Amino acid sequence: MATRKTSGLRSWLRSGEPWVWMNAAAVGTSILAVIGLVGLIAWNGLAHFWPHAIVQLETGTADNPVILLGELVDTDTTERLQYEEATGDGALPEAQTTVTRVLLKTGNRRTAPPDFRWVYDHRINRISQPVDAIVIERTEWGNAYGFLESVRDGDRTVTGVKAQEALARAIDFAEELRENIRDLQQAELQRVNAGIEALRLEDRRIALSDRSPTDKQSAHADVAQRRAALEATYATLERELREHINRFQGHEITLRRADGETEVIPLANIVRTWQPNAMSLAGKLGHYLSSVWLFLSEDPREANTEGGIFPALFGTVMMVLLMSLLVTPFGVIAAIYLREYAHQGAFVRLIRIAVNNLAGVPSIVYGVFGLGFFVYFVGAGIDQLLFPEALPAPTFGTPGLLWASLTLALLTVPVVVVSTEEGLTRIPRSVREGSLALGATKAETLFRVILPMASPAILTGVILAVARAAGEVAPLMLVGVVKLAPTLPVDGLFPFLHLDRKFMHLGFHIYDVGFQSPNVEAARPLVYATTLLLLTIILLLNLTAILLRNRLEQRYRGVEG
Amino acid sequence: MNRHISEQFDEELQSARQLMMEMGGLLEQQLSNARDALFSQQSEKAMHVIETEKRINGLEKELDEHCIQIIARRQPAASDLRMMISVLRASSDLERIGDEAKRIARTALKIANQALPDDRYAEIESLMTGVEAMVARALDAFARSDVDSALANIAADADIDRRYKTITERLVQDMQRHPDTLDLSMSMIWVARALERIGDHAKNICEYVVYLARGEDVRHTRNPTANN
Amino acid sequence: MTTSNGGAADTSSIQDQSTSLKVLDWSLYYGASQALKSISLDIPQRKVTAFIGPSGCGKSTLLRCFNRMNDLIDDVSVDGHILLEGQDIHAPEVNVAQLRRRVGMVFQRPNPFPKSIFENVAYGLRIQGGVPRGELEDRVEWSLKMAALWDEVKDRLKESALGLSGGQQQRLVIARAVAVQPSVLLLDEPASALDPISTLKIEELIHQLKDNYTIVIVTHNMQQAARVSDLTAFLYLGELIEFAATEQIFTNPSKKRTEDYITGRYG
Repeated sequence: MATRKTSGLRSWLRSGEPWVWMNAAAVGTSILAVIGLVGLIAWNGLAHFWPHAIVQLETGTADNPVILLGELVDTDTTERLQYEEATGDGALPEAQTTVTRVLLKTGNRRTAPPDFRWVYDHRINRISQPVDAIVIERTEWGNAYGFLESVRDGDRTVTGVKAQEALARAIDFAEELRENIRDLQQAELQRVNAGIEALRLEDRRIALSDRSPTDKQSAHADVAQRRAALEATYATLERELREHINRFQGHEITLRRADGETEVIPLANIVRTWQPNAMSLAGKLGHYLSSVWLFLSEDPREANTEGGIFPALFGTVMMVLLMSLLVTPFGVIAAIYLREYAHQGAFVRLIRIAVNNLAGVPSIVYGVFGLGFFVYFVGAGIDQLLFPEALPAPTFGTPGLLWASLTLALLTVPVVVVSTEEGLTRIPRSVREGSLALGATKAETLFRVILPMASPAILTGVILAVARAAGEVAPLMLVGVVKLAPTLPVDGLFPFLHLDRKFMHLGFHIYDVGFQSPNVEAARPLVYATTLLLLTIILLLNLTAILLRNRLEQRYRGVEG
Repeated sequence: MNRHISEQFDEELQSARQLMMEMGGLLEQQLSNARDALFSQQSEKAMHVIETEKRINGLEKELDEHCIQIIARRQPAASDLRMMISVLRASSDLERIGDEAKRIARTALKIANQALPDDRYAEIESLMTGVEAMVARALDAFARSDVDSALANIAADADIDRRYKTITERLVQDMQRHPDTLDLSMSMIWVARALERIGDHAKNICEYVVYLARGEDVRHTRNPTANN
Repeated sequence: MTTSNGGAADTSSIQDQSTSLKVLDWSLYYGASQALKSISLDIPQRKVTAFIGPSGCGKSTLLRCFNRMNDLIDDVSVDGHILLEGQDIHAPEVNVAQLRRRVGMVFQRPNPFPKSIFENVAYGLRIQGGVPRGELEDRVEWSLKMAALWDEVKDRLKESALGLSGGQQQRLVIARAVAVQPSVLLLDEPASALDPISTLKIEELIHQLKDNYTIVIVTHNMQQAARVSDLTAFLYLGELIEFAATEQIFTNPSKKRTEDYITGRYG
């Protein structure tokens, strides 16, 4: 029986069944790994925006009580030995072998640091969730936790029950005021500023030109006059702005901290407030959604550890779109030449090999190349030719959106070329001949028949290019991405799309927040959230292209062969 | 002629030709037997001829069937097509020759009890020998696709026709001169007429030979030449 | 009838008809190897001329000379003349695209473009340009009727041509070729990828089209050549062996090579 069993096993091995199982296992493992990774990122990223309950912990000794107020962020368990070594505390009960501690985000970074504290479970005397605990999100110094004491509304001070309503009114007032200020700053002041800068450059241009001295003088005078007018406008606007800001005066909130001290927070600094312990589920959900929205739509604050990531999101999408716009025609034209026009000889084969190998070059090399060639050579050349008046301040001779997009386009062009070539090869000769036989020229055939038929393959190439480009960070650090860009690459000022501007990028943002941040604990959930967003963006870009390709494929199905 | 790429096709054509040659061989025998029956008054040979005629009819049907199969399955072209057409037509001519031979044999049976006046029918006998030879030559020309021989044979048919004419005139005179043998002379007229028809059939076969070899239809042509 | 270049003598029966394509001493080389060896023949107007011969005999190559499709192949050189209605189609001043509008071509496999039925037929006209919208529709309808396809597709002109059956696709391709109103229609084994019924439909169509067009057809199927053509040319190893009326070729070819090919013998 034993021999039969082994022969059964042997025949099972020989049947190839184990091979199938092995393959299935490998695929299963990969899928699990991906699901696990995405799941971890999604959980950690999405949980960040949930209004966690505020707990009040009483710890310390009877004669020296310490009361802490904040959100529970993390728990962790250590061995007794490690605990004793770390703290020198020998008073643990005999039976206890492990020690649990919790991480409490207590906020109030300026007045009662630190803002994150570990508390050992066994040292907590009492734990409660005070209903009236309030979280105040501020533009500076992170969140404040405490209890609302009073709201000062200009001259009046409201305390007690009425304070809640007064706070809501004050927040609305602040929001409106802040909007006015933003409008003033972004729309008006920026425009005037840009005008003054343009006049400065014009002045410079006049100085550099070869006009006669008298001519120059009158031109200079003209510029100076216009400049004076603009500066006057600027002064008015600035005054107006200051007036707006001054309206915040006398508006402030008094917060009683957990340790009993009170703290005054000016209304100008308050983004929003909420009382998580008093919230219903629906309220929490609403808060959650608004948090996500703020994360997506706001500028970052506090060295990127607070606020939103909108500029990075915008910069990433912008850069990828620009890259696609550059790489698609470039790659497609190159592929068409290689496949349709070039004489298929050793030289073309060599080029093809070179193109394929380009895909394997480490991306940082592209970054270096982009910096050396695009920025310092091409960019500097453009500055010499078109923007001599701004020198020595570079316009295009410095890393920026255009160069980053171009560098990534260069990085991904092999993918598009290879994919397009494949698509062109797959088109049956009979279809080309059919078009030519009807009196179409080669170019007409190409544009009317071949390219539409190759479009699914071209899109496949673009999809792969986008997928690769959206995830690239290393070369971007050299050619245009910064940790904090003062302006978006697109705004209301002519020429609206500013290709020379530096921009922010989600990939680099993750690196910056995660590893360059002064406040690691505060930054961690943001890293997850940003990563999730980056994944979503890549997914969405890919999905769009894939859907488009599938539609095209549907249309051209059945032509093969 | 080169062999076909399809060996099967070659075999089919070969067997059609063989069937035809078998039919032809049988007919030559029939004719000679009929002659013996008529002039040597061997009744048993006449019976044999009548008996064998059924086999010839069977052979004709078999040959036709075979040719139709080849045409339907192979769709022969050019020389193969001409071969099929010629064989089909020749088979019907051969069958008619068989019919005429039977008729002669019947006549032989009918006149078996009458003494033949030797001098009067020698010409018919020689006509019959001539017709036999013509049939043999026609079959031979067909077997070898020999256009020259076929053309010679076609020309020879005119001679047969002339001799037939003379014979019938003589027989009519005979009838007037010897009313006692009126019956015999009548029979002999039928025999001569049968022989003339056999000659025509042989000539037809020769015309098919020309069509087979050259693709030319020389029927109803006054003077087919050896080379056009 | 004894020279290898025997086309001229054999066409005595058709010399009274005007010639559409006149091939004079035509040779074609792929690199160093000669694919067509000084071929001369006259293709008459409004007749169906079939080219037959074993694979690689040069029949398709010769056909593709008539609309200069061989231009697409590298390393091809030619010698001799091909006159279309008296004009040398290889003359330097000839516009190839215009030539191809006068000499339409239909290929072995149906090759509709991945566009709607309407756009397929309108393609050649759109390339040509200058055809107003209303006339375009009329021409498309007319072409589809010429190709005996109108009744089958008139309700779905906007649908993809790829949804048609193989036989319909091939007729669509013929309609597409006819739409630009060529004077010559070249058919390169037009039915070899089709089922017998579709093949018969195409053959019937060829029969109808010859009232208006000079048709040259290359076919592997000898029975097809016999069925549809008025004249048949037999090519062998790049040589024109025999060119004569189809009935003669198929009952009594004058060349032994033709005979061997037609009857299926070893050459």
